[in-house]
Amino acid sequence: MDTTLLIFLLVVVVLFVIGFLLLRHYEKQNNNAARRLKLAAQPYAFIGPVLILLLLAFGWPLINSFIMAFQNYKLTAPNAIRFNGLDNFQKLFDDSDIWLIITNSFVYVIVSVLGQFLLGMILALALRRKFRGRGVYQALVFLPWAFSAFVIGLIFRWSFNGEYGVINDLLVKMGLITEKIAWLGTPGLSLLVVILAMIWMGVPFFAIMILAALQSIPADVYEAADMDGCGPIRRYFAITLPYIKPTIIMTLLLRTIWIFNSFDLIVVITGGGPANFSQTLPSYMYTKAFSSYDFGLAAALGVLLIVILGVYAVFFLRVTKYNKAGDF
Amino acid sequence: MTPRVKRNLLTTGRVLLLALFLLGVLLPIYWMAVTSFKPHAEVINAQNITYFPQTFTLENYNQLFSMYDYGQMIKNSLIVSSSTGLVVTLLSILGGYALARYNFRGKSSMLLFFLITQMIPGILVIIPLFILFTNAKIINTHLSLFLFYLVTNLPFCVITMRSFFERIPYTLEEAASVDGCTKWQTLFRIVLPVMFPGIVAVFVFAFIGAWNELIAGTIFINTPDMWTVPVGLKSLIGKYDVKWGVLMAGGILALLPTAIMFAVMQRFVVEGLTAGAVKG
Repeated sequence: MDTTLLIFLLVVVVLFVIGFLLLRHYEKQNNNAARRLKLAAQPYAFIGPVLILLLLAFGWPLINSFIMAFQNYKLTAPNAIRFNGLDNFQKLFDDSDIWLIITNSFVYVIVSVLGQFLLGMILALALRRKFRGRGVYQALVFLPWAFSAFVIGLIFRWSFNGEYGVINDLLVKMGLITEKIAWLGTPGLSLLVVILAMIWMGVPFFAIMILAALQSIPADVYEAADMDGCGPIRRYFAITLPYIKPTIIMTLLLRTIWIFNSFDLIVVITGGGPANFSQTLPSYMYTKAFSSYDFGLAAALGVLLIVILGVYAVFFLRVTKYNKAGDF
Repeated sequence: MTPRVKRNLLTTGRVLLLALFLLGVLLPIYWMAVTSFKPHAEVINAQNITYFPQTFTLENYNQLFSMYDYGQMIKNSLIVSSSTGLVVTLLSILGGYALARYNFRGKSSMLLFFLITQMIPGILVIIPLFILFTNAKIINTHLSLFLFYLVTNLPFCVITMRSFFERIPYTLEEAASVDGCTKWQTLFRIVLPVMFPGIVAVFVFAFIGAWNELIAGTIFINTPDMWTVPVGLKSLIGKYDVKWGVLMAGGILALLPTAIMFAVMQRFVVEGLTAGAVKG
């Protein structure tokens, strides 16, 4: 373990002990004013460390990104760093691939989210009633949630390998195709493989969320519906769906952002290829930043990302009335 | 159709569906495992793809450790992930407690801020941090990864911990304070023991989050002796002659710790996920 990490961990522990001792010290004093002050300060003392860490770690880089977006900032030329106005944005939209990449991003997000949602819903409905071994079954079927996108990417990249891949072999054996398909080398198909991997990875999450919501529906509602002679399909649309709607909306919206931002699968499976046909905005930003070390251009891409996500976040807050509730 | 036939049909359909889902999850894992136990010649025999190893071998696993120093990668990953898990858990207990038990000015904007941090693309933060860490001379250290994993896992874990606290009736604490316990005594002797499963679940979240991360790893780490598991395996794909058997062996070993943690803690992890994620 490197010494810096060790020192840091020690500092954290020492701070904890000091905080603990201080609080105990004040606790013993019976001075009324001091006690009231302490009570008011307590929550801030508890959450302070988290808040400061997060503000530093997210605030500073965000401000920095904005500044870099208007700079000629290449890591390869550290002495030539200066402001260059809108040059980076000019370069960004002169790039003939940018519209392809924006389209890819939306296709990737929409298809993945819908796939995860539909399959997750079906799985949750199937899991709803108790059966023997449900605990074990869940532990297995929810496993992909705990898996790293990186390893999932490896599995899919290997399975869809054009020459040695098991998918081609199965399709040929079933007589569905006669010639092996170069999945990862064909525009359109490479993005499809990424989407399939993303769906595989995300179904458990949706199933978990929807299942929890389903289990919170009181049973007597269904009893009443049964007495009124409600069929299963009508029951689903008239009772089940309205009940779990808030969960569904919240999960869908949050998941959309998460998928939009995540690109490890792309890096592992296709590397954005062939020729940017499976590149999305964040993965393109990664590629731009760390293949050409043009941080200015990457930061300009980042600003574009923030604009898109900002619009989305406003929409999100409107739909969920998240801030009106004032509470989660 | 009589109701009974109908019910039987429904049950059969349900069982079939569940079986299909299970197959869908297990087959890719099976394929990875099978590949990892085949000798290289069998893996790249395109004419005859075998669905069970003809020759069963551990050569891939051996190579992983002898040629690619996988032991060191696992060690690096363990150091970074357990420090992340530990510190995230400690900070989440404090933060979660404040959010669950106090009403204070700025609380709702804090919660909103936590949500917003979850919306920010990681790569946007990574690039400036890369510059910062380079200047601070902590690039290519465990500390750089630890710091990044700490801040990316904190918001979700604090929110999750908060909802674990909220499930414990406040009367429990009141009773303790009537009996003369101080706040800290109550927290450590009464509340935390009851919450133990929740605390372990939060540790598992942070550990898995750090263990599975690839992108920041590829950027902050640049010498092989510091590689974490995903970064090390990623560098193997880049090689001209990809040894898929070795990669799959590495993948299996990378999944094991998180899979075991998840299987053991499934109930609490699922609880934490639903509590924390619906809400943020």
